[in-house]
Amino acid sequence: MREILNLSLRLALICAVMAVVLAKVDAMTREPIAAVEALAQREAVEAVMPPFETLEPDTLADGGIYFVGRGPDGPTGYAFAATSAKAYSGEIAVMVGVDAGGRVQGVRVLRHAETPGLGSRYAAPEVLASFYAGHGLHDRDWRVKKDGGDVDAITGATVTGRALAEAVSTGLAGFERDRPQLQGAASAAAADTTGEAR
Amino acid sequence: MAGMGRTFAQGIWKENPVFRLLLGMCPTLAVSTSVQNGLGMGLATTFVLVCSNVMISALRNFIPRQVRIPGYVVVIASFVTVVDLVMHAYFFELHRSLGLFIPLIVVNCIILGRAEAFAGRNGVAVSLADGLGMGLGFTLGLSVLGSVREVLGSGSILGYPLFGPGYPPMLVMILPPGAFLTLGLLLAGMNRLEERRAIRAGEKYEPPREMDCGSCVLCKPLASLSPAPPAAQKSRNSSE
Repeated sequence: MREILNLSLRLALICAVMAVVLAKVDAMTREPIAAVEALAQREAVEAVMPPFETLEPDTLADGGIYFVGRGPDGPTGYAFAATSAKAYSGEIAVMVGVDAGGRVQGVRVLRHAETPGLGSRYAAPEVLASFYAGHGLHDRDWRVKKDGGDVDAITGATVTGRALAEAVSTGLAGFERDRPQLQGAASAAAADTTGEAR
Repeated sequence: MAGMGRTFAQGIWKENPVFRLLLGMCPTLAVSTSVQNGLGMGLATTFVLVCSNVMISALRNFIPRQVRIPGYVVVIASFVTVVDLVMHAYFFELHRSLGLFIPLIVVNCIILGRAEAFAGRNGVAVSLADGLGMGLGFTLGLSVLGSVREVLGSGSILGYPLFGPGYPPMLVMILPPGAFLTLGLLLAGMNRLEERRAIRAGEKYEPPREMDCGSCVLCKPLASLSPAPPAAQKSRNSSE
C-alpha cells in the first residue's frame, strides 16, 4: 500500500510539473497562434476574392460566416469556408471565393492532413485555379472526371480531388441557399454607409 | 569530455538511428518526401530528444523503476506538445506541411528507446550529448532520404526546380514505395562502404544483425518447412 502510494505520488508529481510547463507554453503561444491563424485566413480570403474596396465578415443567424467584398456599386464578391470529411486523411478545409454572379473566383486550402508531396499538391494556387475557378454551382457536374463529372484531379491523388470537389460544391450550394439573406444584409449595410457619408 | 564527444558522434554515424538502428521508421518513411520536411521533422525530433533525455536523466533517481515507462511517456508527450505549439505559432508553413506527424513524434521509438537505454542510466551531460547526436543523426538520415526523393520525385531541391519543365518527375519516389526503395538502396550502399572499410583494415565485416538476410524472421518458417535439396534430388532420381 505504502509502495503504491509512493509510486503514484511520484508519477503525479511528474505530471504536475509537466502540466505547469505545458500551461506556460500554451499561454505563451496562444496569441501568436491566433494571430497567425487569423492572418492566414485573411490572406486566404483576399486571395480568393475578386477585387474589392472594403471587406467585412457577415455572420448569419444559423452561424454561417461569409466575407463580403464591396466595391463602389455594391457587393463584388463573397468568400466562405467549406469542408469535406472525405479526404484521404482527416478533414480538408478550403476558402472559396465567388464573384457577384456566384462563379468560383479562387480556392485556397486552409487545412489538410493529406500525404505530403501527393494529396498536398492540390494546395498549389495554380492547381486550384485551373481545377475549380470560373464555374458556378449549376454549369458543370461537380464530380471528378473519374466518377463521370467535369472536375479535374491529380493522378494518384483522386481521393483528395474528390474531397475538394465536394467541399467546393457543397460550399457553393450553401452559398446559393444563404444568398438572399446575404444580399439583403449587404444592401442594408451599403445603405448605412451611404447614409453615413451623407 | 572525450566520452561526450564519442557519444555524440555515435548517433551521427555508427549508431545512426535511421541507417544503423533502423528506428523511427514511421516518420522516416512518411515525411521524407522533401528536404524541408525531413529537416523540419528531424529538428523537431532532436528538440524533443534532447529535452526528454536531459529531463529523464536528471530524474533517473527520482522515477521509480516500476513506473518508469509511464513517467517517460509523460515527459516525452509534454515536450512533443511544446514543439507542436511553438511550431504552430512561429513556423506556420512547416507546421502545416508536417501536419499530423508532429504529434506522432510521441510514438517515435528513438525517443523512448534512448530514454530507456541511455538517459535512464547515465548522467545529464552525457545524455544531452546522446540526445543531440541521435537527433542530428536522425535529421541527417531524413534529409538525405528527403533530398534523394525530392530531386527524383519532384525534380526540385528545397523547393527550387532543378531540371526545368521538361522533366517528368518520378512520381513513385514521393509515394510510399519510393521511401522503401530509397532507404533500401541507401542501406545497401552504407553496408558496402562499411564492408570496404573493414576489408581495407583487414577485419572481417559483419553487417548489423537485423539487416542480415539469414536472421530475417520472415524467411525462417519457409526455410524450415521446405526440405528443398533432398526433394529435388529425389525427383531427379525418379525421372532417371
